Amino acid sequence: MTADEAGLAARPDDAGIQWQRPSRLLLRARRIQVGLVTVPVALAGGLIAGLAGSAALGLGLGLGLVVAGAAWERFLARRVAAWGYAERRDDLMVRRGVLIRRQSVIPYGRMQFIDVTAGPVERSLGLATVRMHTAAAASDARIPGLAQADAAKLRDQLAVLGEAQAAGL
Amino acid sequence: MTAPPSGGDAPGPPPDPPGDMAAWHRLHPLSPLVRTGRHLTGLGILVLLLIFANHNGTGGDVIGDVAVVGVVLVAGVISWLVTRWQVAGGVLRIDTGLIRRDSRRFPLSQVQAIDVVQTGLARVLGLAELRLRMAGGDASGGRLACLPLAQAEQLRERLLAMARAPGTAAATAAGAAGAVPASGPGVAAPPAAPERPLFRVRSDRLAGAIILSRSGAYAAVVIAVAVLIIGLTGKPAVIVPFLPFGFGIVLALWRQFNGEFGTAVATAPDGLRLRSGLVQTTAETIRPGRVQAVRLVEPLLWRAFGWCRLEVDVAGARQRRENRSEGQRLRALIPVGSRADAEQMLAELMRAAPRPVRPAPGPARWKAPLTYHFLGWDGDDRYLVSSRGRVCRKTTWVPLEKVQSIRWVQGPVQRRLRLASVRVDVAGRRVTASIQDRDAAEAQQILARLPDLARAARTARSAGTAGTAGTAGTAGTAGTAGTAGTGPAANRG
Repeated sequence: MTADEAGLAARPDDAGIQWQRPSRLLLRARRIQVGLVTVPVALAGGLIAGLAGSAALGLGLGLGLVVAGAAWERFLARRVAAWGYAERRDDLMVRRGVLIRRQSVIPYGRMQFIDVTAGPVERSLGLATVRMHTAAAASDARIPGLAQADAAKLRDQLAVLGEAQAAGL
Repeated sequence: MTAPPSGGDAPGPPPDPPGDMAAWHRLHPLSPLVRTGRHLTGLGILVLLLIFANHNGTGGDVIGDVAVVGVVLVAGVISWLVTRWQVAGGVLRIDTGLIRRDSRRFPLSQVQAIDVVQTGLARVLGLAELRLRMAGGDASGGRLACLPLAQAEQLRERLLAMARAPGTAAATAAGAAGAVPASGPGVAAPPAAPERPLFRVRSDRLAGAIILSRSGAYAAVVIAVAVLIIGLTGKPAVIVPFLPFGFGIVLALWRQFNGEFGTAVATAPDGLRLRSGLVQTTAETIRPGRVQAVRLVEPLLWRAFGWCRLEVDVAGARQRRENRSEGQRLRALIPVGSRADAEQMLAELMRAAPRPVRPAPGPARWKAPLTYHFLGWDGDDRYLVSSRGRVCRKTTWVPLEKVQSIRWVQGPVQRRLRLASVRVDVAGRRVTASIQDRDAAEAQQILARLPDLARAARTARSAGTAGTAGTAGTAGTAGTAGTAGTGPAANRG
């Protein structure tokens, strides 16, 4: 238990692990996603309440929904900051989560295939998500918010490492 | 298909089987009947119910049903006509399809297990279905339905023999060790490899255990409610709308009984052999080293009798279209048995299996008051064991060489109590050894050490030194030893 970054204090501490973080743009992508949900929902909620009840009720509900969206956004910022991955000699480590913290270790030799996906918002910001699949259904390691070039590079790198260390079932 | 001809002339490195297997074969001519048999019985019951329901006899329905049966039969005959199979070069090839041709190849070295299944009708006709289980999901297995029983058994023996021999030959580029035994006539069907019986379930105990299981409890509740309703209203007709539910529950009980009746386990050089079934019988062989996880289940009521259930998980789904829920269940080596039976089987599966002797730390009592008493884990350099459960204690063993990924999880309550869990995933049907609610420092240590231990176990296995998790089969270890020369070198290279 050596001293660590403040945010990692309660995590399993692995001396010498260099955590790599997703791109800063990931937070922006998540904000856009929140905005895309919050604004229409607030507008619709406000309008319906305004038409059915009084204008004040509509305004209140709309504002309430916006505040909820903003709170969600605060939470997201912490969640984005919690993502991290580390390429170790024999395995990949991925950590995530704020409320429920998770940290996965996936040996390179166990990777069956690797996906790179990008949704519309991610694509517009030049981001992509790398997803690692093993033969176990439960292991679901993914790294969101990598720059697309980095994602492709990581995928190729993992594929090469996986091939070198491939182990049968 | 009696004594195979001696023309086992293997031309190339992939040793060909005797001539009678390399040729194209058809399935048994009666197989369409067996394959549609399921629909036939279903429709028969439906027709009977309809006739019973309205005596007026709307003949149109019956004619319609008969027409459906006819169409299904004709489709079955066509499918039989266009289906053929062949074994050549260590690959089983099945061609089928009239309009959309479908040619599938199953490399025998990748086979996880081979089952011989006999449905009730097939048993009457002396036929059996051969099912190959590959590591992939549902549709990745191969099935040959149906063959005469003797031929199916013989074919299974040979496929397993070939799966051992040429598979390792293909894996090692050198192949010197693997090819020699394979090219010899020894592959030509060792008629019955010597096997040693390990366990046989007692029928009375199985019936009792199913009644005392969860589904049995459901059935008891349903029956009690039905009796109560009839008793209160005095009109039996009231429960008629609910009959299908009752029927479903009874069917589920019956399926379990039917599937697990007479389970017999034996060990043989080609793996663990399981036989079970009352009407539909299944015989399967789990190759050595293909067991992904072992689980011991001790439900509350069974504990009173000292009973338990031992299950194994093998990668790849069992193909049971008629029974979806079966896919979620693990294969029971011991459907129900005494602790002594289970201990003996465990010793057979794992040499010196560790016990979940390390109890959870005190603070875990607050987080998991109902499971605390069963939480525990332990591990050595080959196996990891963990136990959990509220009233039903479940103990899971995982061979470290099979570990796919390791996850460390800490929820908000656990963080407050300075606890954490570590989950170890293996391939197969979502079996996860969960080391629940450990002290945070201990969990950290597990997470730090386990990847290295698992890697060491994998390397040891490919070096052929460590025994495999299947059986202590001598031929199995000899087969993997063939890779010893190249395996670890390739890993490090």
